[in-house]
Amino acid sequence: MNQSHGFIRHGEELFVAQFSDSEKEVLVNLSQQIIELLAERVDQNDQDPLAAMVGITTHDSPPDDEVLLRLLPNAYADGVDASEFRRYTESVLRSKKQAHAMSIRTMLMSSEDGSIELNHDLANAWLGGINDIRLALGVRLNVEKNTHEELELLAPDDPMRGVYGVYSWLGWLQGNLLQALMDGLES
Amino acid sequence: MVKIKSKIEEEINAIFSTDRPWITIVWDDPVNLMDYVTYVFMELFSFSRERATELMMKVHTEGKAVVSEGTREEMEHDVARLHEYGLWATLQHGDQG
Repeated sequence: MNQSHGFIRHGEELFVAQFSDSEKEVLVNLSQQIIELLAERVDQNDQDPLAAMVGITTHDSPPDDEVLLRLLPNAYADGVDASEFRRYTESVLRSKKQAHAMSIRTMLMSSEDGSIELNHDLANAWLGGINDIRLALGVRLNVEKNTHEELELLAPDDPMRGVYGVYSWLGWLQGNLLQALMDGLES
Repeated sequence: MVKIKSKIEEEINAIFSTDRPWITIVWDDPVNLMDYVTYVFMELFSFSRERATELMMKVHTEGKAVVSEGTREEMEHDVARLHEYGLWATLQHGDQG
């Protein structure tokens, strides 16, 4: 899996990486899944077109799906305040996260040889996008309860072993991009 | 002189504002990398690397840290930005922290 050497800083503000075909495929697929997962919940009955136009959603309950709840968490401990906040902000948060995933997906898909060049803003979008994928996989792997040692010892035929492999690789890639970004910053 | 004046204005605003203080709390999370949390603090709050690292370590060792305080609207804005980057953040009245 670790065919890419990760991101290297070029000059002041550019971060370049070269991905193999399989790495490209994994990143494109996972970004696509995040984009689909974050697609607006459609409640046919109570969809108010005017509210939708200004980014207010008519639903305000926390998502049932565990992964979605981690990506779109409550802003308040209090349920009423959390609902009110969600009503006015969830739609915008979904689009912002989709945009992060979209920049990973479209850049990789339009790169024939797998080479990627990020400026500072794109690097932030990639960091956020990679992080959302890691959060999603983390929920599925139950990293809250399972220790890394336990996850390392998953049986070779356990489908979660592959998921953990991707999760670890994304952690490495994210850490590597962070390193490249932080190297240029004053401490 | 400018500095003193703005400091005084800040104090006066604080005295007359009934909407202070609210706080933004970031909670520990087993997925987010330590470097990532530090970087997000630097990017969103323009903290020095030292200050951002200190706060990240507080989140990591104590389970949570207050990262900003201000009006309710300001804190809602901060929480929204932290959620955009996947950090687990909530806001509340300062006295509950």
